[in-house]
Amino acid sequence: MKGRLRLRNVLWKEWKGLLASTSSLLMVTLIPVVIVAQILFVIFLVSRLVSPDALAASPLGNGLAQLLAGRPELAALPLGQQFQVYLYLQLPLYLLLIPMMVANMLSTFSIIEEKQTRTLEPLLATPVRTGELLLGKALAGALPAVLMTWVSAALCLAGIAVIGPSSLLGFVLTPSWLVSLLLLAPLVTLLSFLLGVIGSSRAADSKGAQNFALVEVLPFLALVAAQVLGVLSLSPWALLAVSAGLALLDFLFLRLAISLFRRESILVSWR
Amino acid sequence: MSMTSDWAIETVGLSKTFGSRLAVEDLTLQVPRGEVLAFLGPNGAGKTTTTRILAGMIAPSGGRATVSGLEVDRQPELLHERIGLLTETPGFYEWMSARDNLLFFARFYPIPAQENVDRLLHSMDLWDRRNDRVGSFSKGMKQRLALARAMLHAPEVLFLDEPTAGLDPEAARDVRALIGQLQEEGRTIFLCSHNLEEAEELADRIALFRTRLVALDSPAALRVRLFRRTLLVELENPCLMLLEAAQRVSGVQDVSLDGNRLTVHLLDFERDRPLLVSALVEEGAAIRSVFEEQHSLEEIYLSLLADEPNKLAPVVDKERRKR
Repeated sequence: MKGRLRLRNVLWKEWKGLLASTSSLLMVTLIPVVIVAQILFVIFLVSRLVSPDALAASPLGNGLAQLLAGRPELAALPLGQQFQVYLYLQLPLYLLLIPMMVANMLSTFSIIEEKQTRTLEPLLATPVRTGELLLGKALAGALPAVLMTWVSAALCLAGIAVIGPSSLLGFVLTPSWLVSLLLLAPLVTLLSFLLGVIGSSRAADSKGAQNFALVEVLPFLALVAAQVLGVLSLSPWALLAVSAGLALLDFLFLRLAISLFRRESILVSWR
Repeated sequence: MSMTSDWAIETVGLSKTFGSRLAVEDLTLQVPRGEVLAFLGPNGAGKTTTTRILAGMIAPSGGRATVSGLEVDRQPELLHERIGLLTETPGFYEWMSARDNLLFFARFYPIPAQENVDRLLHSMDLWDRRNDRVGSFSKGMKQRLALARAMLHAPEVLFLDEPTAGLDPEAARDVRALIGQLQEEGRTIFLCSHNLEEAEELADRIALFRTRLVALDSPAALRVRLFRRTLLVELENPCLMLLEAAQRVSGVQDVSLDGNRLTVHLLDFERDRPLLVSALVEEGAAIRSVFEEQHSLEEIYLSLLADEPNKLAPVVDKERRKR
């Protein structure tokens, strides 16, 4: 009970800080909007300017062939719309970049702030436990990041309807979308945040911390590329398995973050 | 070795090393409840490290320490409920109001947070500025706010690390007055400082520290231990005859005349002082004043540390060699 109150207290302070900082608020809201606008614009251009036959001859044709093998009902659509659906189905994975980047920036900032304002020592002199402090900070950054991912997903769906035809929405809203948004997004966010926290407690400055946390983005981008090119096709079950793996990673990284957050070295070496 | 809880603070053979550098060596001391102990030493002497160990922030490398009956490296969360820590730099969220800052820290303790925060804002004379951002506060106000933070949960033991460092004289006086109030409330205060006047004004005892404990006693006892008691006699009519008269007094060990002042060392200060004054008056001395020479805490400090090898020197040399 005491632990939950202390965790809530950390959340209260972090969110108060987020709302008080115009730059943080802009960062949290602008990044998703820019990413969504960029994706939709590219899909719009592709659907309007590139001939379906040229797309079929490109490496994307391989990916579409794999999709049609798994979902034969799509074959009834014109080739151009098949490609649109194919590209829309990549969105959930691509949208995961949003929580990764937002959580990463918020986490490194929230720890670095404690360094810069020298609030960590008085904070650690209270009965707060390291786990409560780190989990509080992680959740405080993760929840807005996940929320913005969902908002972005909603914007994407609206964009799909606008680009048209709106009947494609029925083909796009698949179980994979739901698994990705409801399971993968929160888990990836938490992982990003924990990597940010680990980076912040080990690195000497915020740049070093962010670089450390951004290593997570590279394997993720490889995964996106593999799926777009049809090398890998992630079914809802595969996504569930990835989610389970991520949940385990989150747990392990939380333990790692707590063990690496050595009060002594932080107090003695932080300047 | 037995560790009792009769003391507010007790350490036995406490030590701390960082790599090959020894920061605290074999520190053994007891601080009774309600005492103000000034922990004095030069920069880099290990005062902050000792404070952090005692406040359960970092673990000792050797020895043991209890504060308020708890071993400092066993139950840090419980220990933190019983102690208050004023860090060297106040450290606040500058974008938050004074009240919100205190509320944030107060909510970590099992206390009525709002009630305690409001009471302390009143008692620290910060109530009118409670809703202002801490970033707009002066250093003195931040330090008072930091003291309020250390006092939120009415701790039994307070660790104050350089409480007046960097403050202007007026703000330093206000902070000292607040510490005086805490002392009157019977709290045990571990005052880490290199401000000698402050230590003399506030402390019951002085611990002089440079990596290890150099001396531990009340300022008066340290004076007696270090310096011979010296009687100074100021004369209206100084002359050789009066010097000779002083030399003839049986308890006088040595005497010198410098200008209009006789400087006298006596065998038994209390017994021989009236004898000397009588002898001088009989010889026709017109005495302006008779007083004992006072040695400042600064003299004690410098005298004790002058005999103490500087433990930091090897590290500095090593770093130079690295370069």
